[in-house]
Amino acid sequence: MNEISRRTFFKRTLASIAASTLVLASGNKTVEAGDTVQYGTFIDLTRCDGCAGKDVPACVNACREKNQHNFPQPQEPIQPYWPQTKFEDWSRKKHLTDKLTPYNWTYVQPVEVKHNGKTFKLNIPRRCMHCDNPPCANLCPFGVHNKTKEGAVVIDRNYCMGGAKCRDVCPWDIPQRQAGVGIYLKMAPKLAGGGVMYKCDLCIDLVKKGQEPSCVQACPQKALIFGEKEEMRKLAHRRAKEISGYIYGEKENGGTSTFYVSPVPFDKIHKSIMAKKKQAPKPERIGIPGMKPAVENYLDSANGTLAGYLIAPVAGAFAAGITAIKTMKGEE
Amino acid sequence: MKILHDENKVLRQCLANRIIHWSVAVSTFILLFTGFGQMPLYKRYKIADIPGLGWSADFSITLYWHYIAAVILIFAVTYHIFKAIFMKEFSIFPRRGDFKQSALIIGAMCGLCEEPPSDKYLAEQRLAYAFIGGNLLLVIFTGMIKVLKNLPSVDFSETFLAVVTNLHNLAAVLILFGIVAHLFAFVFKQNRALLPAMFSGKVDIDYCRHRHSIWYSQLERKCRKETV
Repeated sequence: MNEISRRTFFKRTLASIAASTLVLASGNKTVEAGDTVQYGTFIDLTRCDGCAGKDVPACVNACREKNQHNFPQPQEPIQPYWPQTKFEDWSRKKHLTDKLTPYNWTYVQPVEVKHNGKTFKLNIPRRCMHCDNPPCANLCPFGVHNKTKEGAVVIDRNYCMGGAKCRDVCPWDIPQRQAGVGIYLKMAPKLAGGGVMYKCDLCIDLVKKGQEPSCVQACPQKALIFGEKEEMRKLAHRRAKEISGYIYGEKENGGTSTFYVSPVPFDKIHKSIMAKKKQAPKPERIGIPGMKPAVENYLDSANGTLAGYLIAPVAGAFAAGITAIKTMKGEE
Repeated sequence: MKILHDENKVLRQCLANRIIHWSVAVSTFILLFTGFGQMPLYKRYKIADIPGLGWSADFSITLYWHYIAAVILIFAVTYHIFKAIFMKEFSIFPRRGDFKQSALIIGAMCGLCEEPPSDKYLAEQRLAYAFIGGNLLLVIFTGMIKVLKNLPSVDFSETFLAVVTNLHNLAAVLILFGIVAHLFAFVFKQNRALLPAMFSGKVDIDYCRHRHSIWYSQLERKCRKETV
């Protein structure tokens, strides 16, 4: 006689499967829509003139002034990334304003594009796109890269190890590394760690006080507009419609908080940027982001396996049940 | 599980158990390799320069296979747990007094004292099982949270994620230690007779009789009962 009756067995099985499903499903309940406003930035490329006549665009200057105290102050001498023979050091190139560096978190990218028989000279403010589902933050192995409720993607510079994975997984290679600074110096500076990564943090300290990022405040042409994210999206769509233009940043990388509007297609802009980038000497190619349209999020492939996570525990329990039944029958 | 007199052997691990063990072993190995690969190590330390391992520096590849191996591990672990519950097979679960018993057994293997009678699993096997199994569960639960957080529109608090990430990493390192210790057990000659059990499923009857005498007695009793 079986110690487990058929009815008891199935009752137990169903309860277990239900419990498994509940555990997985309950994860989503942790997500709550708070009262915090989510912000976005609308960037109108028909208005930005790169601050013609100025040595450095106003937004770039404002960013540099505002973040002066956040810039890295490396300790000399700097160790190479053993067993590699090199390291990234921008401390002698702080003056650079024509690319992203640890000392320059935003810049204006001049681009010349032919479209519909006309030549357009565009100036494109570049900085972190502050993605909806940022791979740089999600994939940081040390958990020091996060997205705030306001929508800013922020690096905790106090604990960053400078592995530069965030740059590798960013479609635009936005974060930049400075060696000789950061927590790794207190660990094994020769053998592990690479410094700290730096990038635009959306002036999150200002935003939390209800102010605009410094680049937005500084723009004399009002090419940069900052506000509630969905409002910025609408603004971008309205403007694109007005000028029969194009939008970038709404769908790229699974969606971002930055919406560019341009009178010319972004694939042409991207090609122009890349062509120019290739001409630059190799070390100088770092920090020049492209604008590849419809670029996919790094996480899309991995997230596609989610169904497997839901099926695996149920299938495992079911298979165990079948094994148990067969074994018990065999013992009769 | 069954005495095979004709072969002078005892069936110790059925086919299903062996499949599950190796599923856990292989998926855990893949998880460890691709897990460490989530840190930017393989490019820097030139592991990616080894022929055939160029892919190890590509985070999209290591992440994807990390996920696949995790699915396999979850299936195997779930199967194992539910089968134990359904079949009421709890012989590998730790018991009160296992630490003391384990110390005696290790002492005996070093020739310091007499070995106490053992059941199907030695005390240190039960402890090792609990250690590795516990960390596998921790790695699975924290891993599931990390999978969720990588989905669009799923955001957890920064503090929570930091705790989860560190627990995940800690559990992974402890699993690695557990595996090394698990394999180190075979340095002792007395333990080597157990090795075939995970391949053929069988162990020598003499070994079983003298080293796992409690278990052997149970098998004999069961065998006698079946004969009648």
